[in-house]
Parts: sequence; C-alpha cells; structure tokens
Amino acid sequence: MLEYLAYLSIMTGIYGILSLSLNLQYGFGGLANFGQVGFFCLGAYTSTLIVVLVKGPFILGLLGGIIAAGLFGWLISIPTANLKEDYWAIATLAAAEIVRLFFLNEDWIFGKGPYHGGAFGIGGIPRPLQSWFSATTYPFFYLCIVILCLIVTYFVIRLVTDSPFGRVLKAMREGDELPLAMGKNVGKYRMKVMALGGATGGLAGSLVAHFWSFIDPYAFMPIETFVVWAMVVVGGKGNNLGALVGAIIIQFFYSSTQFLKDYIPIDPQVLASLRMVLIGVLIVLVMLFMNEGLVKERKRIYR
Amino acid sequence: MPVAQIIINSIIRASELSLIALGLTLVYGLLKFSNFAHTEYAVIGVYLALIFNVYLGLDIFTSALLSAVITGFIAISFDRMIFRRLRKSSAIVLSVTSLGLAIAVRNMIRAIWGAEPRSYTIGLQEPLIFFGIRLTPVQIWIIVTAAVFMVAFHLLLHKTKLGKAMRASSDNPALAQASGIATEKVVVWVWFIASSFAAVGGILIALETYLLPYMGFAIIIPVFCATILGGIGNPYGAMLGALALGFAENFGLYLNFGNIFNLWGLFDVMKEIHIPTGYRDAISFGILIVILLIRPSGILGGRD
Repeated sequence: MLEYLAYLSIMTGIYGILSLSLNLQYGFGGLANFGQVGFFCLGAYTSTLIVVLVKGPFILGLLGGIIAAGLFGWLISIPTANLKEDYWAIATLAAAEIVRLFFLNEDWIFGKGPYHGGAFGIGGIPRPLQSWFSATTYPFFYLCIVILCLIVTYFVIRLVTDSPFGRVLKAMREGDELPLAMGKNVGKYRMKVMALGGATGGLAGSLVAHFWSFIDPYAFMPIETFVVWAMVVVGGKGNNLGALVGAIIIQFFYSSTQFLKDYIPIDPQVLASLRMVLIGVLIVLVMLFMNEGLVKERKRIYR
Repeated sequence: MPVAQIIINSIIRASELSLIALGLTLVYGLLKFSNFAHTEYAVIGVYLALIFNVYLGLDIFTSALLSAVITGFIAISFDRMIFRRLRKSSAIVLSVTSLGLAIAVRNMIRAIWGAEPRSYTIGLQEPLIFFGIRLTPVQIWIIVTAAVFMVAFHLLLHKTKLGKAMRASSDNPALAQASGIATEKVVVWVWFIASSFAAVGGILIALETYLLPYMGFAIIIPVFCATILGGIGNPYGAMLGALALGFAENFGLYLNFGNIFNLWGLFDVMKEIHIPTGYRDAISFGILIVILLIRPSGILGGRD
C-alpha cells in the first residue's frame, strides 16, 4: 500500500510538471497546445538515448531531455507564431504525432544491441543510484528527486509568470492588439513560451523514462495530452497552484478508479474507456459551468 | 502499381475526406471555431449504421441514410447542450470544449462496442479489373456518393433560400441578422448538414476498411489538413484541399524522390529515396506545417 502511494505520488509529481508547463502555455500565454505529449515523449526518448547509448549520467540525460524538448517547442512555434490561436491546436497535435511516429518507425537509432526501440520499446533504462537502495525504499528516493524537480519547475515558472514577461503573456492572451501597440513582438514571446513549456515538458519525460525504466511509443498517445488538459482546466487556468491542484485531483481520480473493477463486475477494457469518458465530460462541464476552474486566477492591479 | 491505380486511390481517399472536411469548414465559417469533435460525428454515424445494418438487418443504403439523419440530430442536440451556451466565448474555449466532447464520445463508443474492428454485411467484394486498375464496387460507390453529395451541396448553397442565408450568415452574421435572417436557425441547419455529411464520409471509410472506435482520431489531422489547405471556412476549398491531400498522400508514397534529390540526372547518389509507408500519416502533418508557414489562408484563401 505504501509502495503504491509512492508510485501514485511520483506520477502525480511528473504530471504536475506537465500541468505547470501547459498552464504556462495555455493559462498565461493563451496558446492551445494540443500536443503537450510530444514534449513528454521527446524528453523521455532523448534522456534514454543519452543514458543508454552514450552511457551518460542521469543528470546529463535529464538536461538532454530538457534541451531537446525545449528546442522542439521553439521549432514548432515558428510556423504558427503569428497565426490565430485556432491553428495552434491542430499544428501542435500534428507535431506531437510526428514525434511519436518517428520513434515508432526509426528503431535503428538504438542500434543493434540489446535495446530494441521502435514498436517494441526500450527496456532496462537505468534508474539513478539504484544500487544504493533496496527495491522497497527506492521509490521513496525517486519521489524525492521528482519533488525536487517539481519545486524547481514551480518556482521557475512562477518567476516567469510574475515578471514583466508574464504580464506581456497575459496581455497577449486577451488579444494581440494591446501588446502589439506597446511595441511587443508577440511572435517572439510565443516562441519563448513554447521553448520554456517544451523544456519543462521534456523534464517530465526524462523523469518518467527513468522511473518506469521502460518506454515505448504507445505510452505517449495523444490521450496523455488530454489528461493534462483536464488537470489545467479543472485546477484553474492562469494559476500555478491551480495547475498542481488539478494534477493531484485528476491523477487521484484516474488512479483510484482502476480499483473499481475489484468492487463492480465490469470488464477492465470498458472501465478504462469509461474513465476517459469521464475525463472528457469533466472538461466540457468545467468549460460550461466553472470556466475559471477550482483555484481562480489572482486578479492583480499593476501600477 | 500503375499510375492510373494511384490516381484512382487518390480520388477514393479524396472522396472520403472531402465529405468530412466540408462539414468542419462549414461550422468554422459560421461559428468561427475549430470543432475537434467533428470527426467523432463521423464515427457516431459509422456505428449507428452498424446497428441498422448488422443488428437490424437493413441494407447498407438505408442504414447509411438513417444514421446520417440521426447523426444530424445528435449534433444539433450537442449544440443545444454545449456549444450554444458558449456562443459568446473565445474560439479557444470552444475548441477545448469540443476536445472534451470528442474524448467523451470516442471512448463512449469504445466502451459500448469494444476496440476490435468490425465490418458491415456487404458481402465479399470482387474487384473489377479494367486497364490494369483494380476497383471494387464499393470503391465505385464511394466516388459516386461523394460526387453526388458535392453537387447537391453546391445546389443547396446557390439555388435555395437556406443556402443564401448560410452564405450571408457566414460572411457577416450581424448584417445577416439585421436583414431578417434567423441566424440561429441557420446554425441548426449547418450543424445538421455538417454532421450528416461527416457520417456519410465515415461510413464510406468504414465500407472500404472497417469500423474502429478510434477511426475519428485517425482522420482528424488529414481532415484539418484538407480544410486548411483549401482555406478554412471555404466549402469549395475543403473539396479542393481533400483532393490535393488525397493525391499527395498516395503519390507521396509512390514517387521516387531520388530523382529530385539528384536533380533529374545531374548527380548520381542515392537513387532510391521513398517515403517509408510508416510515415503515410506524417504526409498530411508535413503538408499542414508547410501550408501554415507559407500560406495559412489556404489555396482559395479562406475567410479569416
């Protein structure tokens, strides 16, 4: 039970980072990124490549994942930086699918060695300092790493959203006219947001790869993006604390409902689908009746 | 494979996509938001037709017709329950809401029918072979159906009062309303047309392949790509975009890019460059990104 709690906390922490990242893009910048999972996937694979193939240390893998996903975020914002919000959603959705298709098809990047890649996934991804701990205590150590990363992400993003940069983002969210009139290059701001959002998303990916120690392209289906969306929308867009609250609620709900099959005679496949139905319904209901989410954005007056 | 076969395959793909893309672009033109639940209307239609065709034993034409009409009413009721309450909201809010609806519908269908592929009872399809082209009767029906629906839509848009009202409302809703057009009534009609066309398009895809609960998600990017390629908000653009995308997808896999790489004989390295079949889906993603870079208003210049 305690081990399960550790597992749940680790996944909540990782999704908390994803949720903070999406909240920065959507909640503050008004950018509807429907391809958040692309950063997650790219971070996981880059980190794995560095640690498994180059035999680099965990920290290097983490940094590699952050940099690769950050670069990717910057890259995909180039075609869309000056377009209407509608195009963001579909362009990012497509970009995330390209990332997944790439790792699904290109199995040669992991060489001919013991690692398969492609549809078979990659197993045996080393966990940092595993030999120092027993199998039962290790998850708690990893939890500490995740919490540390979550805290750092939280304060970095808060620093950004509380800065003048963050104020421009919020102005941009309400329409390009005002920031443009103030002489702000909105396209450049969008690219920076996507780079930062990508980097934090990549961090979450690196963390998940070394925790699971197995990844395959099917772990990064678009549905993961939508779970993160539910977190941001339910928790409260434009509020960093809200993004974390949303991550905890959705992750708890998502994980706890899988035990329902022990109490109700229901096919696990059907149960899995119904859980996703609830995620979708939740998004619709919040958008309809509780537009600001659980934790409302702080209204601030700047002088 | 002969070139004629690739052309036919392209036209078949375009027929299926155009029916679905048309509805997406109509809704965008009128309500100014990207409806991410649009391809799910196609899947609703596909599984409704399964009920009529397999469970109730009706023939596929009646089943398709009935399910298209019911899908139309389902879309109208979704509008009543959800989208109408958000008419004054921003496009982003509407898109996110439609995404939530799409997830709910997609997984509801999977919860009911399971993830395994199903098919209609249309019997074994004996391909006809002429001039070296293989074409099944179903594929002929796909092309004919799409053509009939496109012509019908054109006539609707230009020869009826409703069509005039639709064009006026999507050009300038305020002016249309001021001139006595009941725009909300037009919205209801547009939802009906958009979703029933999507249902027919989905059924055509399911006839050629099979029924899957996730088929709506599988076509969402190609459908958006066709719409944006032709110019979002422009119905004729959607048709043109679907045609262009159908050809691009099929010829993209067929063509040998080695010729281009070597500038048609100027160089002599890497003579065989083909797009791997695993990247078939990536073709539409790639086109989407290129079109956003160079001409986001699309070929025909959509209403933006």
